[in-house]
Amino acid sequence: MNDLFAIIYEVWFGLWESEYDVIFQTLFDYGGYNLLGLTFITVPLIIFASFYFLWKYPYANLWHWVLLLLVVFIVTGVISWGISNNEIFLSDNQSLIDALADPESGYEQFANTLPLKHALTNGFLSLILGFFYSLILKQFSKIQIHLPF
Amino acid sequence: MAKKLYIFGIGGTGSRVIKSLAMLLASGCKLKNDFDTVIPIIIDPDTSNGDLNRTKDILKLYQEIRNQVNQPNDFFGQEIKTVNELANKSSVVNSEYFQFNLNDVDQSTFGQYIGFNSLDDDYKNSQDDKNFTRLLYSEQNLNSNLNVGFKGNPNMGAIVLNQFTDSGDFKRFGQTFNDDDAIFIINSIFGGTGAAGFPLILKNLRGNTNIPNSAKIKKSKIGGITYLPYFALNKKDEVNSDSFEDKAKIAIDYYNRTIIKQNKVNFIYFVGNKGNTKYLKYAVGGKEQKNDAHFLEMAGALAIFDFCENINKTTNKTQVKEFGIENDSEPIKFRDLNLNNQKEIAKPLTKYKLFAEYLNIGLPKALNKSRWTKSNIKLVNKTENSFLDEQYFNRPEYKIQIEAFNNHFISWLNEMENNKPSFSPYNKISWRDALNLIKGGPNLEITKSFKAIDIENCKLITEIGIRSTSKAMHTTLIKIFGKSTENVLNKHNLLKQEKNV
Repeated sequence: MNDLFAIIYEVWFGLWESEYDVIFQTLFDYGGYNLLGLTFITVPLIIFASFYFLWKYPYANLWHWVLLLLVVFIVTGVISWGISNNEIFLSDNQSLIDALADPESGYEQFANTLPLKHALTNGFLSLILGFFYSLILKQFSKIQIHLPF
Repeated sequence: MAKKLYIFGIGGTGSRVIKSLAMLLASGCKLKNDFDTVIPIIIDPDTSNGDLNRTKDILKLYQEIRNQVNQPNDFFGQEIKTVNELANKSSVVNSEYFQFNLNDVDQSTFGQYIGFNSLDDDYKNSQDDKNFTRLLYSEQNLNSNLNVGFKGNPNMGAIVLNQFTDSGDFKRFGQTFNDDDAIFIINSIFGGTGAAGFPLILKNLRGNTNIPNSAKIKKSKIGGITYLPYFALNKKDEVNSDSFEDKAKIAIDYYNRTIIKQNKVNFIYFVGNKGNTKYLKYAVGGKEQKNDAHFLEMAGALAIFDFCENINKTTNKTQVKEFGIENDSEPIKFRDLNLNNQKEIAKPLTKYKLFAEYLNIGLPKALNKSRWTKSNIKLVNKTENSFLDEQYFNRPEYKIQIEAFNNHFISWLNEMENNKPSFSPYNKISWRDALNLIKGGPNLEITKSFKAIDIENCKLITEIGIRSTSKAMHTTLIKIFGKSTENVLNKHNLLKQEKNV
């Protein structure tokens, strides 16, 4: 899974920069990508499962579903930002700590941009997954089966 | 074995009790001891009577709705048929067949009916003479138009009603009568049609050998309910409610001698109310006679349930029963009824009340939003889509059958509430506090709105067995609400709490 997530972030979304390889290597080696990947997979799953199976509101319409998608985006984004920030700035990897501490390296400046990029990337992925989850989960829902359509 | 119950409703009171019975049957009350079909037979010369026509309309709507439900087992569970349908094995719904026709009462006076003018004035040389007839009938009686009934004169009713046993309707009744079928007769003792009709019908049922299956009819179980005065009129004219009590006493004495002591019926029920009665708008008959529904008419319908339940406990002697309530309170609520009656009607009536009120108040919020009202859900199995969509609720069959019947049901409850004694078991409700409908019921803090019904409907809509077909278009609506209202009542313990208050 780690490899897959690394490909998603570094290749598909092009976040990888060769000059700051230590950061990416740290995320890969210390499980950061796994956490980020699980976030965009589980957050929309939990939220949409709650929507389809726990929320007993029989008058929900498409706007409720859209609003929920927005909530999924925000929650996934915030959690992902936190994970990324922790994995980079609170890492145990001495090489990364040293690189971040060296103002000449430009690492800190680059690292500061990464959590937001991860948040947006995961938010986007959670939107896509959320949509597909909806199509699957709605089949088993008693009350919100009519959403999104 | 399936059995039929023939119910003769005589006069205005007969019609109104049958109306109450139809409401109870619609809400899911069932006759016990395998009585699966009810055959109402209304006998009333006053063909334009408002009460009569309203009852016929309600019975017709009942049949139309029931015919559109596949295997109804809750609301509209009991079958109602006309004698004509049974005799001709037809399924044509026609409200006129609920009434037995009386000939020559449309435009004639009582004098014309008995051929008074053809009688002789010479009492010495004639076998029949006008003077003897005048001893029995006043000028007012003789000039009275029969098309508005007998205006409280049983001496007229006894003559006119005697003809109906020769009618085709009565013969058809005999033809359809089987072993184990039973008969129930409803009449009021203080009026004209009912007071005269009861002994007359009974005499023919027990002794007229010209009726087909007369032997079966003669030995059949027969019950009757006789109404003592339970309302008064606001004007004293041709019909004077001051005389109701005296007429009742005289008639009871006659019934006691000729019916009860001779054990002509298996059960006879007496229902009446003294003191706390309402003065109704004066009307001798016709379309103006449209009295508000009364609690005692529902009590009469309960007597029919009691008759069927105890039909196997008959003896050779007539059993006389009276109707009573547990607490003499005003208004009467469910907890004031005796436990048997509470059990019998509280749940079904409350379920149907919720159903009828929901369709008025709750449906607009759910229509086209709740999944149970949507038929265009994509990417799911076809069976997940609902038959009860906007198109269904706009269909004429929904509007002229379900809506019309439910309006009658709501009016029936409202009229009983506004009558004396008042039967008022329900609070006025809105969408938000719909589940707080039972007076003295639990005060629900969280879920009390019609949302609870919508949630249940969403869960039930795909259940096998409640889907409509083109030939039974009300199946889903009637069955889903039968279940969802039951689930809501049970989940919130609405009725259990009521008993403890």
